[in-house]
Amino acid sequence: MQNTSLKQEFLKNWIKGLQLHSSFNKNTTIFERRKAIKLSADIAIASTRNSTTRWSRALIADASRDGSNKTLIEKISGREVPHKASLGLIRCSKRILKRSRFARRRAAPVAGLIAKKLVKSRTRALKRLVPGGEGMDEISLIKETIDYIVSLRVQVDVMGRMATAADRLIPFKTI
Amino acid sequence: MFAGNAEMSVLERQRARLNWQQESLIQHQPFAFFSENEHFVGDFLMGNGDQGFSELLLGRAMKPNPGFEDGWQGLNYGNGSEFCPLPRTSISPPAMAATNAGKAALSSATGKESFKKRKADRNHIPKAAAEERSQDKKMKGCAEEDTKLTEQNSNSKSTITTANDNNNNKGTSDQKLKPSEAPKQDYIHVRARRGQATDSHSLAERVRREKISERMKYLQDLVPGCNKVTGKAGMLDEIINYVQSLQRQVEFLSMKLAAMNPRLDFETDNYLAKEMFQVCASSIPAIGPSSESVNPTHLQFNGLGQGVLSRGLEMGANPPDVALRRTISAPVSILDTLLDSSCLNQIQPLTWDTELQNLYGMDYQQGRSTSFVSQPFTGIRL
Repeated sequence: MQNTSLKQEFLKNWIKGLQLHSSFNKNTTIFERRKAIKLSADIAIASTRNSTTRWSRALIADASRDGSNKTLIEKISGREVPHKASLGLIRCSKRILKRSRFARRRAAPVAGLIAKKLVKSRTRALKRLVPGGEGMDEISLIKETIDYIVSLRVQVDVMGRMATAADRLIPFKTI
Repeated sequence: MFAGNAEMSVLERQRARLNWQQESLIQHQPFAFFSENEHFVGDFLMGNGDQGFSELLLGRAMKPNPGFEDGWQGLNYGNGSEFCPLPRTSISPPAMAATNAGKAALSSATGKESFKKRKADRNHIPKAAAEERSQDKKMKGCAEEDTKLTEQNSNSKSTITTANDNNNNKGTSDQKLKPSEAPKQDYIHVRARRGQATDSHSLAERVRREKISERMKYLQDLVPGCNKVTGKAGMLDEIINYVQSLQRQVEFLSMKLAAMNPRLDFETDNYLAKEMFQVCASSIPAIGPSSESVNPTHLQFNGLGQGVLSRGLEMGANPPDVALRRTISAPVSILDTLLDSSCLNQIQPLTWDTELQNLYGMDYQQGRSTSFVSQPFTGIRL
């Protein structure tokens, strides 16, 4: 099955990220830890895609934009291509697309049909949800959404297993 | 209805006109003509002759030129559907004579005139005009179709379309691209139904929409509960909800893991081992969700990944130290723990990487193993 290999890869990356994080900063609050876990999980799931999809690239770009120490994590957990140039390019193109979209919207009158409006608003909402979705057209948005959903399921699955395993193990361990 | 009427009237008119001409020829009374209609007679005397005129008429009768017909119809309509021949003949010649005779000039003039009439009368006779326009456009449409379709079937197809179009003469020019079995594969095959536009923009738009709907179908299969929803907006709603719920789940899980992180950090190796087993066990379909049985997997795991469990046991063996360390600095890093524990135990000089590799190797080995899983599956099974 393709999903199991995906899961294994995700888990490997995630564990690596967690190790790195815990080796870097030792004294953390629960929120920081949560953030770190989330971030490493995101980066891990993104790096399973080898930056072939746009949402994964956007995720990595966002993570690397957030902080300087996170770029380190991201670089090591997702070893592939967190190049500055490509990230800048993505950001730049996104910005341009945004601007053009706004311009178009200003120019064109609002679509008459209610259904069209509804679909448009939903598409906008979906674009906000999928990382890097703002610069996509509809076809690639749907494609990326499919991929993103698959990856999110993998993420949820593995993390849920991890959580339950932790739940199970800790009482067993502490006894 | 109008068209049939018009055709009838045209035939009738022409017949009557011929009759009338023959009569006039037999009678040879130009003066009567003069008195009746000086334009026509002037035209007649100026050298058109009856032959020319009859030729003209015959030509008119032979060629069902839509412009002519329309012109006649226009005239007919203008007259208000009277059927006596004489007034009509007296009406039609002035139109000809107004342009000062000459056969070619005549025909062109009548053409022009009829064209004008057609334009003028389009409001009055929309259906007949529409039919003739559609006939005109049918030819163009067929030609376009020929260019667009592949060479083989085009002729038969176009004839079929024309045959079909006789039934319904609205929007016939728009109907192209019949489902031809195109032998060339470099086309993107688009099927246009009746009334669909066929210019390149709308074709591209249709291709785009088809792609979107295809992917939406796939997405529908992927997202649970999306099958019941019809309509794109509803489907998008479901998708959005699903993605949001997944993201929230990830958030929640990370929160949960963060809450147990101090211990988690300490034992990531154990989790990792178990996780790997779970992951590889989940690939086997015949697995009970809560099978607590200890099986060869476990033994093998013990045998192979001694490091993990033995270290765990070792840690369990000297709890005060561990507890002390936990209380002092809760989130101990894994590497530190690893180093510490290995130093403490002096059993396993394994580094993380080798251990990881070990585990992974084991993981791949144990694809055949049935179940190590003691936890119920909470995550969504894929």
